[in-house]
Amino acid sequence: MFSHRPLPEPASPPAGRSAAGDHVSDAAGAPAAAAPRDQAGLLDPAFLQRLEALSLVSRRRVRGRQRGERRSLVRGRGIEFDDYRAYEPGDDYRYIDWNIASRLDRLFVKLFSEEEDLDVHLLIDTSRSMAAGAPSKLLLAKQLAAAIGYIGLVNLDRVEVGVFSSGPGPRLSRLRGRGRAFDLLRFLDGIAPEGTTDLGLALRRTLDESPRRGLLVVISDLLDPHGYEDGLLRARHHGMQTFVIHVLAEDELAPRLSGELRLIDAETGRAVEVTIDADALRAYAEARDAYLEGIQQFCFRHGIDYLRTTSTVPADSLVLRYLRQGGLVR
Amino acid sequence: MTFGAPATLWALAAVPVLVVLYLLRVRRREHVVSSVLLWVKSQPSWAAFRPSRRVERSLLLLLQIVAAAGIAMALAQPALLGWTAGNGDVVLVLDGSMSMRARDVAPTRFDRARAEARDVLARLGPGHRAALVLAAAHPLVLVPPTADRRRLAAALAQAQPWDVAGDVRGAVDLAVQLVPGPRGRIFVWTDAARSPVPALPNVTTRVLGAADDNTGIVALRVVRDAETVQALVRVTNFGRAAVRAPLRVTRDGSPVYGETLALAAGETRTVVFPVSAPRGEADAGVLRAQLDVRDALPDDKTADALLAPAPLPSVLLVGPDDPPLERLLRVAPVSRAAVTRETDPAAWRGYDVVILDRVTTGAVPPGRYLAIGTVPPNLPANPSGVVDAPDIATWDRRDPVLRFVDFGDVHVRQALRLAPESGHVLAAGPSPLLWAYEGRGLRAIVLAFGLADSDLPQHVAFPVLLVNSLAWLGGDAADLHAGQTLEVPAAGADRAVLRRPDGARIDVAARDGVFSFALPRAGVYRLTTPAGERAVSVSAGSEAAGLIAPGVSGAASPPPVQQVLARLALWPWLVLGAVAVALGEWALATRRHGGDA
Repeated sequence: MFSHRPLPEPASPPAGRSAAGDHVSDAAGAPAAAAPRDQAGLLDPAFLQRLEALSLVSRRRVRGRQRGERRSLVRGRGIEFDDYRAYEPGDDYRYIDWNIASRLDRLFVKLFSEEEDLDVHLLIDTSRSMAAGAPSKLLLAKQLAAAIGYIGLVNLDRVEVGVFSSGPGPRLSRLRGRGRAFDLLRFLDGIAPEGTTDLGLALRRTLDESPRRGLLVVISDLLDPHGYEDGLLRARHHGMQTFVIHVLAEDELAPRLSGELRLIDAETGRAVEVTIDADALRAYAEARDAYLEGIQQFCFRHGIDYLRTTSTVPADSLVLRYLRQGGLVR
Repeated sequence: MTFGAPATLWALAAVPVLVVLYLLRVRRREHVVSSVLLWVKSQPSWAAFRPSRRVERSLLLLLQIVAAAGIAMALAQPALLGWTAGNGDVVLVLDGSMSMRARDVAPTRFDRARAEARDVLARLGPGHRAALVLAAAHPLVLVPPTADRRRLAAALAQAQPWDVAGDVRGAVDLAVQLVPGPRGRIFVWTDAARSPVPALPNVTTRVLGAADDNTGIVALRVVRDAETVQALVRVTNFGRAAVRAPLRVTRDGSPVYGETLALAAGETRTVVFPVSAPRGEADAGVLRAQLDVRDALPDDKTADALLAPAPLPSVLLVGPDDPPLERLLRVAPVSRAAVTRETDPAAWRGYDVVILDRVTTGAVPPGRYLAIGTVPPNLPANPSGVVDAPDIATWDRRDPVLRFVDFGDVHVRQALRLAPESGHVLAAGPSPLLWAYEGRGLRAIVLAFGLADSDLPQHVAFPVLLVNSLAWLGGDAADLHAGQTLEVPAAGADRAVLRRPDGARIDVAARDGVFSFALPRAGVYRLTTPAGERAVSVSAGSEAAGLIAPGVSGAASPPPVQQVLARLALWPWLVLGAVAVALGEWALATRRHGGDA
């Protein structure tokens, strides 16, 4: 277990701390408000080059379709010894342990872990709320998906990218190998915010269409009026190793609002009339902290890895530092 | 503070309308957020959603309310009023009625009047004079016109209302004489409970009081006849609501009577009950009646009366032999009687009443005299000859001296022709035949003819007249009321100590052979002289004294009160303030992003 301790500042704003003072900066201490990046070029070449040295970490054995670089549930021809079992007719003679046979006069075959490929499911929230922030949350989500997907491709993992809002959106599947990196980036480039968030519905359909277990990375702001719990539990019960990257905008953590306002929900159009002053912001901060703490506790209880960040944190900093610390890549 | 147009205060209703409009008007800025989820989750505290928060927190609304209220108040033309003495001399008239002790105006009506009068004195211009008049049973000039502020202030501090119905009208008439000139001004503080103050051009009247609820004891008397002694208590409900008034009567602290009186509005109830002393004991002590009622005037809830009969006078007959008179004196109710021919007044000392029977004397010293067929030269009724066979044509049957006296069959052969300058003619024919006088330390009755010059001794009128005359001369009035002046012969003493009903002790000096003192309060007065103690009970000056419902000023015509009240108009300041606040609100609103102006 690795990521449930509070991550460094880009992620979780500490509870009880004034949200207004929560100014996120990257690891190098650069100003948080990083310059918006060109959406056409999600990742610069230097960053891509550094990603090639990384690989995705699977903390459980997976069953792949082709030989890859993962320990598989299938025991057989790998090089890593795993166990013995009694010989059965039909077994490959090459795996009989003759030393044991000479000592015990019984035949045992050595079992090795197969090294297979990893199914990596990237699920990106593209609801309209993801357009918030400067830079937008959606941009950071796409950059993270590109980086994680690229790492998977170069490690011969099977990468699948899907987007969701009120339902499953476009999907790019069966990507494998470095040569599909452009397809991945082009797909991500074409994503635009639309619809409302329904994580439960999106995960249900994704899991129905991808029955193989693997690594599931959900990148979302989790501002889901239907709740995030059902979807994540479904993924967990499905055997997915789930990693949630929770992306928030600075203004969502610390609203810079005051006076008589009619707040309109970007997704649903729902309006709320509020009088915002110090007391109101204090009440908001309490609700925010409770909400974020609830997500963190939920993930902890159900073995879901969780990383919270704001859209101002650069993607390279997140991947090279925080996702490594969080155990998603190594 | 006063308002020139109080009806426009209804404009203040605009304030709540302003608040309602502020709550109702839709002027919120729209702001798109990624999600209202967290805002909605903060709703349990509802801190940001309660509409009243807009009122609580809105400085702009507060400024708008202040500006609107200021304008509304300005429309009502408010002004501060204060008493001012003007530029001339002033006379301050204070109603000294018992009703001015009512506590519906804190601390009392009289104390409030005193404070306001003090305020007028403080505003009196330098060099101007002021006089102080108390409208007691009769008008009293406490301080004649003077510029001595200390004296005025001291007299004002010592002034107290009497247990009487004050003569406010007489006091105002007196004040008019004290303040000459058109610039002089009279200030009257009264409750006008019994009569309005006369409307005069230079009189400013301040009517005090608000309450009318009062139930009080208006009379307590001890009535004697040959066999019994009875007490009479009269209670009046002056208010407009029925009351239940528990009455308790004690004799030297021991209960003698008790009853709860149910009195309708305006009703008077008289209760009579025997209070004779136990067999073998003399009638003595103090009878006290108490009402257990709480209202605006607590001073008339208690009344005292003496049970002991008034002491009988000692009588000295000066003159030649007069057998009918001497015989009568032997049986008359006197403590002692003596006869002398000595006309030197020094020989008369020690007697309460001196009867001068056809003797010529010089000026008589202060004292009580019954002059028969003679007139001492210092009485203002010098005779100018005689009149033959005068008929007694009229006599005042209501006077205590002539009570039960009938002169119808009395014939007079010759009488002195009296020419009284003052006093009271009790009986007259062609000239006054019976004359009473009180003043200058003297109390005297002059019968213009000698007993031998008439057949009066043969009529029943004679003993009755003599007994009545001795009662009036020798003692106190049968019913002493607050507001009267009691004169007690000094009988050679120089000083005495007077204990008033409130327990205060006052040294009294004899003047012209008489101890003279006013009776401002009802109750029992005790005068202690070297010869002993003499007590008298005094009842309230008037049964109407307990009427406390304030009346109205009769000054319906000029002068308007504003002429003598300093008037500081406040509305210009209110307008300026409201404009300033409105400008501030506008400036604040326009500087706010998306302001709420």
